[in-house]
Amino acid sequence: MERRAAAPVAGVGLIALAAATLPLITRDSYYLDVATTILMNLTLTMSFRLQVSTGQINMAHISFMGIGAYASALLVTRVGLSFWATLWLGALVAALLAVPIGSVALRVSGPYYFLITFAFSEVVRLFFNNFFEGLFGGPSGLVGIPKPGRLLGLVFDGKPALYGLMAVLCLIVVVALVRLDYSRFGLTAGAIRQADLVAETLGVNVFRYKLTAFVLGSFVAGLAGVFFAHFRQVLHSSDFGLEPMVLLVVFTVIGGTGSVWGPVIGTIVMTLASELLRELHHYEILVFGAVLILTMLFAPEGLVALSGAARRRLRRLRGRAPAQAGAGLAP
Amino acid sequence: MFFNEEEATMRIRASIATVAMVALVAAGTATRGAAQDKTLTIGVLGPLSGGAASYGVELVRGAEMRADEINKAGGLKVGNDVYHIKLVSYDHKALAADAATAANKLVFQDKVKFIIGNAVGATCNAVQTVTEPEKVLFSFVCWGTSNLGPDKPYSFRAMLSQWEVAEPFYRWVKEKHSAVKRVALISPNDTSGKDTNTAVVKALKGLGFEVAADEYYERGTKDFYPILTKILATKPDMLDVAAAPAGEGGLILKQARELGFKGAKGWTAGTNPFTIIGVAGKEAAEGVWSPTNINVKSDFVSPTVRRFGEEYEKRYKEVPGVIAVANYAAFDVFTKAMQDARSLDTDKVLAALTQKPFDTVWGKLVLGGRETYGIDRQFLYPLVISEIRDGKVVDIAQVLPAALKK
Amino acid sequence: MSSELLVQALLNGFGLAMVYVLVALGLTLIFSILEIINFAHGEFYMLGGYVTYYVYALSGLNYFATLVLAILTVGVAGVVAERLIFHDLRGKALNAFIVSLGLLWVMQAGAQLAFGVLDKPVPSAFSGVVRVLGLVMSVERLVVTLSAIVLIVALYLFLRLSRPGRAMRAVAQDPDAAALQGVNIDAVSALGFGVGCALAGGAGGLLAPLFAVSPAMGALPVVKAFIIIIVGGMGSLPGAVLGGLLLGGVEGLGALFMGSAAVNILGFLMVIVVLLVRPRGLVGGA
Repeated sequence: MERRAAAPVAGVGLIALAAATLPLITRDSYYLDVATTILMNLTLTMSFRLQVSTGQINMAHISFMGIGAYASALLVTRVGLSFWATLWLGALVAALLAVPIGSVALRVSGPYYFLITFAFSEVVRLFFNNFFEGLFGGPSGLVGIPKPGRLLGLVFDGKPALYGLMAVLCLIVVVALVRLDYSRFGLTAGAIRQADLVAETLGVNVFRYKLTAFVLGSFVAGLAGVFFAHFRQVLHSSDFGLEPMVLLVVFTVIGGTGSVWGPVIGTIVMTLASELLRELHHYEILVFGAVLILTMLFAPEGLVALSGAARRRLRRLRGRAPAQAGAGLAP
Repeated sequence: MFFNEEEATMRIRASIATVAMVALVAAGTATRGAAQDKTLTIGVLGPLSGGAASYGVELVRGAEMRADEINKAGGLKVGNDVYHIKLVSYDHKALAADAATAANKLVFQDKVKFIIGNAVGATCNAVQTVTEPEKVLFSFVCWGTSNLGPDKPYSFRAMLSQWEVAEPFYRWVKEKHSAVKRVALISPNDTSGKDTNTAVVKALKGLGFEVAADEYYERGTKDFYPILTKILATKPDMLDVAAAPAGEGGLILKQARELGFKGAKGWTAGTNPFTIIGVAGKEAAEGVWSPTNINVKSDFVSPTVRRFGEEYEKRYKEVPGVIAVANYAAFDVFTKAMQDARSLDTDKVLAALTQKPFDTVWGKLVLGGRETYGIDRQFLYPLVISEIRDGKVVDIAQVLPAALKK
Repeated sequence: MSSELLVQALLNGFGLAMVYVLVALGLTLIFSILEIINFAHGEFYMLGGYVTYYVYALSGLNYFATLVLAILTVGVAGVVAERLIFHDLRGKALNAFIVSLGLLWVMQAGAQLAFGVLDKPVPSAFSGVVRVLGLVMSVERLVVTLSAIVLIVALYLFLRLSRPGRAMRAVAQDPDAAALQGVNIDAVSALGFGVGCALAGGAGGLLAPLFAVSPAMGALPVVKAFIIIIVGGMGSLPGAVLGGLLLGGVEGLGALFMGSAAVNILGFLMVIVVLLVRPRGLVGGA
């Protein structure tokens, strides 16, 4: 299928183009703030999908974002390292901790995996909130985290510069994850999701694949966490609790987990809708709840599949034969 | 086959989902009403859904009541212009990161220069990273000590906090109830809880009390038997449900009574006495002292507070707590300062705020707090100590802050 | 530390454990039959609480009659929820996650809208305390625990002896085989979901006078229920009871030795340890 190769390039190009044009259209701090948040969430949801693609819902994903965030904040404020070093160190700390946690969690599967990772995430959150208060700030949170320092003469104190930094980080992650998804690794992940046992008998080391996806995902989450810490400049344990984690799952699944582009669509659509509905107060979650239910009932494969269905319909209207049902980015 | 049934169903389902998404976005756009000329937009933030929703809802209602009063009276006259006040309030779900985004939206999208109202300590820190550089005046009822300071000149606390009430409250306890020697504290495990216990412990030690217990529980706890068993084993004379919200405070008092506690009871950071009486029951709430409770139905409160209470109850079918009153007063103070300044420029309004006392529902109110925070950004007003007697709140003493005695 | 204090701490922990076991049993029953985790389970608990508030606290109906009414009302709500939104989701973990989350939001926001945002007190039906050998427990808690035990036994008998109960167990073991035996899977799913929700509703009704009711009250029992079913083992009734007692004991004792806020970490650590040693829970089968 020629589309397989074309889709990722076109998709990445589209995201890069959109990301690059935004600061040209607006320098409004709010828009840039939302756009930065979207890009940050994108790295989280795409790395989350990497693990969902092996059939597992990892509820501790957000914790690795937290570990990266706290690690970097402390390394910068206490040890005096530069943001540009901790950006990678923080992510590395998250990845290193992911090895033992993942090894333990991945011994179980299905709902047990879901719940053990939830237990891990609560342990991490409660740890940040209740232990070593002098270090992590306890329930008051950590304040006064500096913005990224200079790099190659560039200053990162304004919204546009931070947006640019996040855009670059996000693109690196997207390119890496998309390449991975269309590689042998992605195919194997798909095989594992569909039939764990079959993959195993065919000689795939399922555990190692899942652990690799877990650690890789945690590294990316840690990366997003480091950026988050220095972008927001304050940290609180609740930022890495159940509620934001649940939102990540929502973004990913509403978009569709079948395609690497699902989380992209889901994150963008849901974040924008949530910003538009912010002043509805608790009506917001009323409306959101209803939309979640309806979407899952009427588009169980997510919004990405919806665009596929729409495209097929468009083709038919133009009198062309329906092409293959590839789930790519909406044209 | 005439038509592919499965395909058709798919199509219908797809259309329904699309319509739902479009409706979602449209609903959001529709809420943005057409702008009127000479409109002053004021922001309110707070947790408006989830476990802490009652704080945020009271903030919004307090602001709403005052804004409507001003609009009904023909608008707010600032200099030569008359402004219609428009409130924009956003839910941050008690999450710090969400609060930063919401503050960005208020400041950069809605072009708000005044944010009157926010609760939950950790979110205040996040909002201040947005408001301070933009010189947006930001008032809140968060009890975090670090929320006020010389590095945050545009931030205000619109409600007496632990540092203002703990010392006078326990001085009163010492004078009037000399049998109380050992005090046990229990607060939720968050910024307001930690800072409240810290302030109370300092006051207790300064006044020669013994601290029997200094405990924290996770917000949302319902069963206090385990922690109370530990606390009551220390044999306190008085149990202070310090920074516990009304619902949880009521449960603590009820369960303490079941476990046999018969000593004195206090609520340093009292919020809504009617909820605590309801939840604890008349017997368990009997004799609770509080320096911050407001009883809008009391014979002692000013006619304005009583009228506010009646209007509020008529409109929202719930009795207002101290947060609603505080934000109503804050709204009042800020709009008066705008009139005094004859300008909406935040630096000029800031100057007007610190110039003279204001007449509010609290009585006389000034900005002070330099000794504690290094800057005069704390609202100071007469503190009323109340006691719950037979299911009713009775005001029994009034303490004037030093700054108001002058 | 006196031994009396230790025993009192244990008693505190066990005191309400059986009510959380009820919530857990509802969750695990639904999981067994539909192979999904219902996140909105706590919201059915909340619904049971509000039924008690309106019928018992405001209208003054007898406490136990109200409890039965709460169980029935929430059970019907569960059947409706299953028919309308859950029946197509058997085994689709991700979709069920999102749908039940949506339902959670709708119910919680709906409750805030319909019932108001403040905690609503429900007066105690029983007053007084029981004191034995220096140990204290309120009569109210005793009645609540006994009622919960009665409900657990009733559920056990229902699943063992009644026709629909046996059909549920058959579907839980093997839906295809059950269908071949002539079991109406649709009806059993709806009924099972209803019974599961009814258990949560009963728990909400039981705890309403102890804890008051509020729109967000469902979050806490559901987290406890998760811990209980994981520790005890999915789909096992004795496992849930054991899990409930263990969690209660650990939390009750833990509160003596560490800060109460930090105690919450113990339950989650227990989950991790148990799953490491026995990946299917303490009593969980294959």
